[in-house]
Amino acid sequence: MNVPSLLHFTFLLKEARTASWRPWILRKQQFSLLRMPLFQAAGKKNSLNLLGLTEAELEEQFVRGDGPGGQATNKTSNCVVLKHIPSGIVVKCHQTRSVEQNRKIARKILQEKVDLFYKGEDSDVFKEKKASEKKKQEKKRRAKENLERKKQFKEM
Amino acid sequence: MRCLTQPLLRRFLGLLPQCVPVGLSQSPVRGPKQSSLRQSCSARPGLVTAIDVVGYWQKVFETNGIPEARESSEYIVSFVLGAKTFQSLNSEKLHTPLTAVQQEQIQQLCHRRLERMPVQYVLGEWDFRDLTLKMRPPVFIPRPETEDLISLVLEEESRKHEEKNSGLCFPAAVPHPVILEIGCGSGAIALSLLCKLPQSCVIAVDKEEAAVDLTKENVHRLQLQDRIHILHHNVSYSSAEQLLLWGPMDFIVSNPPYVFHEDMASLDAEILCYEDLGALDGGADGMRVIKTILALAPSLLKDSGSVFLEVDPRHPDMVENWLQAHPDLLLTLRAVHKDFCGKPRFLHIQKQSR
Repeated sequence: MNVPSLLHFTFLLKEARTASWRPWILRKQQFSLLRMPLFQAAGKKNSLNLLGLTEAELEEQFVRGDGPGGQATNKTSNCVVLKHIPSGIVVKCHQTRSVEQNRKIARKILQEKVDLFYKGEDSDVFKEKKASEKKKQEKKRRAKENLERKKQFKEM
Repeated sequence: MRCLTQPLLRRFLGLLPQCVPVGLSQSPVRGPKQSSLRQSCSARPGLVTAIDVVGYWQKVFETNGIPEARESSEYIVSFVLGAKTFQSLNSEKLHTPLTAVQQEQIQQLCHRRLERMPVQYVLGEWDFRDLTLKMRPPVFIPRPETEDLISLVLEEESRKHEEKNSGLCFPAAVPHPVILEIGCGSGAIALSLLCKLPQSCVIAVDKEEAAVDLTKENVHRLQLQDRIHILHHNVSYSSAEQLLLWGPMDFIVSNPPYVFHEDMASLDAEILCYEDLGALDGGADGMRVIKTILALAPSLLKDSGSVFLEVDPRHPDMVENWLQAHPDLLLTLRAVHKDFCGKPRFLHIQKQSR
């Protein structure tokens, strides 16, 4: 390495040390249809009948910055922002440390929200929530009843 | 550490006081600027919650010019609390006071981050798709883009299987794809494929002992040792015969060093100071190892076997030209796939069937 490029290298390293890191720019990306298959219900809610979403109606954003990406970057911002264009519903997912997993989860959550949005009380998501709430209340009621019965028994 | 063995880089690393190589110093050369944690508490005096601590260390990182101040702080605090990300912590954990032990753990990890150590090395682990893998400097840290490389291999395997099945009265036997990974690093690609293709066999090689060792550790952590051979092997210098222990391959997969040599100097300090630069530097045009792999492929692959490579966005055209200049290899560039940021990132090259 000759002298001028030595100095250049030094300068670049110094800059790396002291630069105020440029803010990462949200990057809009139309995701390729091939990568994520069309999906119906996903995860443990396999029994739910939800409206399918196509990749064409989705808009995805990643906080990855404008840098070269790939090997040349080691960034850990794996947050995924997913928008359903027709309804305008947006989901933000940073549940895991994997971009791929976050994308999957974002789609699952978005699918549920979109279904709820269009179907309202007819949505399986709504019905399931109501059913579990009812179960909870039943449990509380029974527990209360048992407590009352025990009290009366003691007073006898 | 790889960069220490290169005398030129060692000279320049001396210019970076923050960049003290692992093992040579136990504490940062200059004390980091820190304000009192108690002053920034939102809870009762003496008690700090996860939210308080994240905010505190974020400020410390920002003051000291550490990139991704908020993300680094969140990952470290979440890790100590037993979670993967801050968003995955429930409300209760977010507001519960941290124990003294937890605060001490967080402080120790954050001090390493203050030395520009990548978060993945600070935590000693990171996730790749649905796998949690051990991470250790200087073994190359898997990048999120590479997660899609796995999907591409799976799609091709699935497509081949369907093709075989179509036209048959009953399904063909379950395929047992043989996969070679060149440059396995921490084992991310090899292990993901092993998990997703339960009938597959993998040969994973790396020219660095540290990478071979780390891959072996990750293999044992995931209990996948039966279907994988990990070899300390340099494809640039060693004979390829030993790679044929399971016969010719269905797939060769690689994320080879592909950074253009002139771009190496502008990489972040996190990369330059802690990662194996030999896992990144692809020579003048970034093509050195790519060409080696492609030259080797015809003698290793079955007919119609595929090579899947991750590359620099400038490489697709360069590879296409090079393959056309070497027709004797009988390799065709089938497809170029983009990464999640829209950059051309993955090449699918196929061996023509004779």
